[in-house]
Amino acid sequence: MKKKYRMIHDENLCIGCQACSVACRSENKVPDDLFRLQVRVKTEGVFPDLRMDMKRHSCVMCEDTPCVTVCPTGASFKTEDGLVQVDPKLCVSCKYCIVACPYEARFINPVTKNADKCTFCYSNRVSKGQDPACVTVCPTDALVFGDINDTTSEVYKKAKESTLVYPKAHLGTKPKLAFVPNKKGVSYE
Amino acid sequence: MNNIWGSMSQYEIINWPWPIAVYLFLAGISAGAIIIALLVKWNKHDNEVPTIWDAMVKAGAIISPLTIVVGLLLLIGDLGKPLSFYLLLINYNFSSVMTLGVLALFVYTPFAFIFAGLIFEDKIKNSFLSFLYPIIGYIKSYSRYSKNIEYILFFLAIVVGAYTGFLLSANMSIPMWNSPVLPILFLASGISAGIAGNILVGLLFFKSSINKESIKYLLMLDLRVILVEIPLLLILFVGMIYTGGASKISAMQALTIGNWAMIFWVGVIAFGLLTPLLIAFTALKNHAYKVRFIIINSLVVIVGVILLRFYVVYAGQLFTGV
Repeated sequence: MKKKYRMIHDENLCIGCQACSVACRSENKVPDDLFRLQVRVKTEGVFPDLRMDMKRHSCVMCEDTPCVTVCPTGASFKTEDGLVQVDPKLCVSCKYCIVACPYEARFINPVTKNADKCTFCYSNRVSKGQDPACVTVCPTDALVFGDINDTTSEVYKKAKESTLVYPKAHLGTKPKLAFVPNKKGVSYE
Repeated sequence: MNNIWGSMSQYEIINWPWPIAVYLFLAGISAGAIIIALLVKWNKHDNEVPTIWDAMVKAGAIISPLTIVVGLLLLIGDLGKPLSFYLLLINYNFSSVMTLGVLALFVYTPFAFIFAGLIFEDKIKNSFLSFLYPIIGYIKSYSRYSKNIEYILFFLAIVVGAYTGFLLSANMSIPMWNSPVLPILFLASGISAGIAGNILVGLLFFKSSINKESIKYLLMLDLRVILVEIPLLLILFVGMIYTGGASKISAMQALTIGNWAMIFWVGVIAFGLLTPLLIAFTALKNHAYKVRFIIINSLVVIVGVILLRFYVVYAGQLFTGV
């Protein structure tokens, strides 16, 4: 059976330490000052009633993929498991996918000249049965990854016990990265 | 102050910069010029003496292949890997507007050259390009299909003129582009630039007498296109505002903030659309077909069309409403 990979970022557990971002950088050789993954810290509310929201910013692995649709050469493609990847041999670096992505997930890698983005560490880790680098280093287990078809997996349990929110759900892109929204802090009802 | 999550500079890059805006203009004027040249050619009566009509056909035949080639070179130069452009020709994704555009251009560009070759047949025969004459002679042996070839070229020109708009409108991430109005707007403004370009090149290089009737026809045509463009721009922004959310914010920002808003109101609206409207109305009303006015009219139309492309490309990417 095909795997249905899902990643869940629990914003209640995230402490904004950026370990995931650093792990991604070292695992995937992301050039300096560029990011496949950021966790942005957003202060909400009016002093003294403030809270901090941790927002993961990366590719969300759409089911209905704007970047794959517009790519003229097929360099942006989905694997059998539905994870969106870039084939460096086919990419002409036209930047159409970068412009088309509603999640600002892509950029041009100045070393390879190809479109680059979060891959869920597909070729280097996930296809070998390991978790993505960001998931393995997370000190608070705010990131959970796995096959949601597998009812014994962590990600299945997490999805079952939490209310999941999908980024820009109104666009109908059906992301495979979901969030558990922050419930801590004073300004929530 | 540094963000703890690092640099944001990769999100502030204009991914499609000025060569794209210039290409969109050149593709538009190329398609517009040949559309007008063909329309004029089909409507020309055989018993008419060579006048501006002839110049219009010649101007269109020369503008179209040259502008599209320069545009394509800019486009290839803007690729991050320019030498890999051939991959676009051997890999296709039929859901991508860019692939469909590549295929259209793949046929359109040679046809535009063939058309130019046939129109300038005598010139080529007696010039340094005479080595090309055998090719033209060969093409001429198919002259019984010439009308069909003109129809195909006309259709391809419409496809090329409109696809530049579809290229942008296929992006759901940019509200100003993600509009069904854009392809029609780009085709209309391309035709407008084509008329202006043909008049300019026709007057400058194919010195023909100014015929009152023919200029009137062209100015009327231009007037109609401009009168289509203005409501299209209105629909574009009203549509964005009614969509609400990020789309509405994007429209309000693009119409009010900074230099791009000024370029839109002064460059596109006042200069590019209202000035030619004024000239056309006064020139038509007083029957004063002064060459000076016609040239000014053509120049402001072309500048307006260029600025429209720059505005849409840049303001679209800068003001996404987030």
